[in-house]
Amino acid sequence: MLLVLSAEHRAHLGCLPRAGGAAVGELGRLALEQLRRGAAPRACETAARKLNIGVDTIQHGVEGLVYLLTESSKLMISEVDFHDSIHVLGFSDELNKSLLQLYLDNRKEIRSILGELAPRLPSYHSLEWRLDVQLASRSLRQQIKPAVTMKLHLNQNEDQTAQVLQTDPATLLHLIQQLEQALGEMKMNHCRRIVRNMK
Amino acid sequence: ILDDPDLKDIDPTVLKHCHAAAATCILEAGKQKADISAISTCLEDCKLDKERIEQFCTEYQHRELVTVVSFSIGRSPLHITDVSWRLEYQIKNSQLHKTYQPSYLVTLNVENSDSGSHPDVSFSCTMEQLQDLVGKLKDAAKSLERATQM
Repeated sequence: MLLVLSAEHRAHLGCLPRAGGAAVGELGRLALEQLRRGAAPRACETAARKLNIGVDTIQHGVEGLVYLLTESSKLMISEVDFHDSIHVLGFSDELNKSLLQLYLDNRKEIRSILGELAPRLPSYHSLEWRLDVQLASRSLRQQIKPAVTMKLHLNQNEDQTAQVLQTDPATLLHLIQQLEQALGEMKMNHCRRIVRNMK
Repeated sequence: ILDDPDLKDIDPTVLKHCHAAAATCILEAGKQKADISAISTCLEDCKLDKERIEQFCTEYQHRELVTVVSFSIGRSPLHITDVSWRLEYQIKNSQLHKTYQPSYLVTLNVENSDSGSHPDVSFSCTMEQLQDLVGKLKDAAKSLERATQM
C-alpha cells in the first residue's frame, strides 16, 4: 500500500536534500524526540543555528518527517512500498536509504506510542478478595451469612480506581463458571482459525 | 385490617395501635430469635390471658417469611448479581492499523441495596489478565469450601 503525500507535505520534506546527510540524521532525531515528548522549539532553534538553515525550514522538515514516519508506521507499510512512496519526492538514493533505515529502526516504537492513543475502556489491574461472615445486623440477630468482599482495581487513562464489591457464594461459583467458559472460547477452533487467518 | 368486616365495630385508632403493636412484637421476637417460652413470658407480663398467648404463639410459628425479610434488610457494598462477557479481536483503530489483538470485555451486573440500580462495572482485559482474575476467584471459592468444612 502506498502513502500519498500532499503537496504541502512534499514542500516541507523538500528541504532535506539541500540540508545534506548530517542534517537528515539530526532532523530524524528531532522528529523522534517530538514523537516521544512533544514539540521542542528550542531544540529546533539550536539545530537551525548548527546547520545554518532557517528555523521555519527546520520546523517544517521535522514536522514532515514526523508525519511520514507516523503514517508509515500506522499502516505498517512494507519496505518496498515505503521506498516507492518517497520515490515521488525525487531524492537521491542515499537519502532514500537513510529515510528507509529511519523508518525501519523506529517503526516498533512509534507503533507502541500510537497504540496508547487509541480509545480505551477501563482495564483490569488486579483483584483483592476477603471472606466475610455477617453475624448480626440491626434487623436480625444471630445470623450466619457468608459473603465474599472484593476490591477490583482498574486502570483508566493512567488513573487507578478501586471499586468495592460483594457477592454471595452461589454467585461466586456462577461467576467462575461463566468466566471459565469465556476463557475456553479462545481455544475453540473458530477463534483459532480467525486469529490464524488475520495476520 | 380497616376493611375487615369482623373488626368494623372496633375503634379504628385502637385497631391501628393493636396492629402496630403486634407487628413490632413479631419483628422484635424474630430479630432476637426468641423461643416460645420467652414470648409467653413476655406476653404474660403484658397481662394477656392464656388463650390469647397460645393463639399468638401458634401464629408466630409461621414466621419464616418474616425472618427472610429481616435477613435481606441492611446495607452492604454493591452486590454482584451476574456477569456477561464479550471476546473481540481488534483489527485496526483510528491511530493504528493491523493491531491484531484479542481482548475480553467483562461486565459485572451490580445491584445496590438502596436504590436498586447502579451502573454496571465494565472493564477490558487480555486473556492473561482474565486468567489471573479467574484464578483469584477460584482461590476465594476454595477458601469458602475449607471454611464450611471446619
